[in-house]
Amino acid sequence: MTIFDGSLENSCTDDFLETIKSHRDEELLARFSNGDRAAALALTSRLSPVVFSQAFRILNDRAEAEDVTQESLLRLWKATPKWKANKAKITTWLYRVTLNLCIDHLRKSNRNSGDVQQEVVDDTPGVECNLQNKERLQALRIALETLPDRQKRAVILRHIVGLPNPDISEIMGISIEAVESLVSRGKQALARTLAPQKKALGLEDD
Amino acid sequence: MTNKDFKYPPLNEHELGLLFDETQKTTLEMSEQFLERLQNQAIEAALKKPQIAIAPEERPLFDRLANVLAQARGWLPRAGLVSAMFFGVLLGFNPPEFVLDITTAFSQMERLSDLVGLSDELGFYLAHT
Repeated sequence: MTIFDGSLENSCTDDFLETIKSHRDEELLARFSNGDRAAALALTSRLSPVVFSQAFRILNDRAEAEDVTQESLLRLWKATPKWKANKAKITTWLYRVTLNLCIDHLRKSNRNSGDVQQEVVDDTPGVECNLQNKERLQALRIALETLPDRQKRAVILRHIVGLPNPDISEIMGISIEAVESLVSRGKQALARTLAPQKKALGLEDD
Repeated sequence: MTNKDFKYPPLNEHELGLLFDETQKTTLEMSEQFLERLQNQAIEAALKKPQIAIAPEERPLFDRLANVLAQARGWLPRAGLVSAMFFGVLLGFNPPEFVLDITTAFSQMERLSDLVGLSDELGFYLAHT
């Protein structure tokens, strides 16, 4: 998380830092709806890296991830006046909205898969991102598109975003057992769909 | 099983894991300019909110009806309200003939006492007792 990094830290007042540290998301949202600038800054700084990270993992494209992040937050701001305290947690709600937007983007970009731009950053020093990495990512994304919607969502949240099953169950509004079943069936379907590309993706030698 | 390519064995857990691992490597920091843009949008949205908050309260019809029901405590008043609502809707959609007569009479400015056969004397009596 990069909440206290860079220009944000330089531009923050002590009050703002105090606000961001000590309040829960729901409290900040209540202050936001009363026109509190510090709460707006705090919420954006806290939530946007989470949303961006999720979107980038799914889409693997900076511009698209930025679009999705911006749209997700705009939807949150719009939902603020009607937000109920007993509703889902803000992060859960955001994960759901972001996932929906990412799936829409994936659908569109897979339709135009000829000119998909990919941006891969490998944080392991000395290792270059090679063509095969890109091919693997692209193949996985195209194969994901062939899954039924709920299986696709469960697999993305579990194995791409990396969330635990209880969180996925909350986001999707289903039981943990149902999540496990969807993930399992989704992975089996992916394994069959990707089977003919095994050699091309360099998986036989791994 | 609808896979047509039976000659290819499906990927095993390890091979599938390698593909998922590729996605885990794709991390990227948000740019400062982008964060700044999001913050400006958030401030703009936050400052608009009080205007939205003081707008007249618009509650859905169902909420208002639910509120009326909530105020009627006990099953009897609630049952009464629900029955009245039901018959109101029923009469609205399919009014019996005598209701049509009454509404027609009103629309023609006739007196209800004339319609049901009460005399002027009775009307006078009722009005002064």
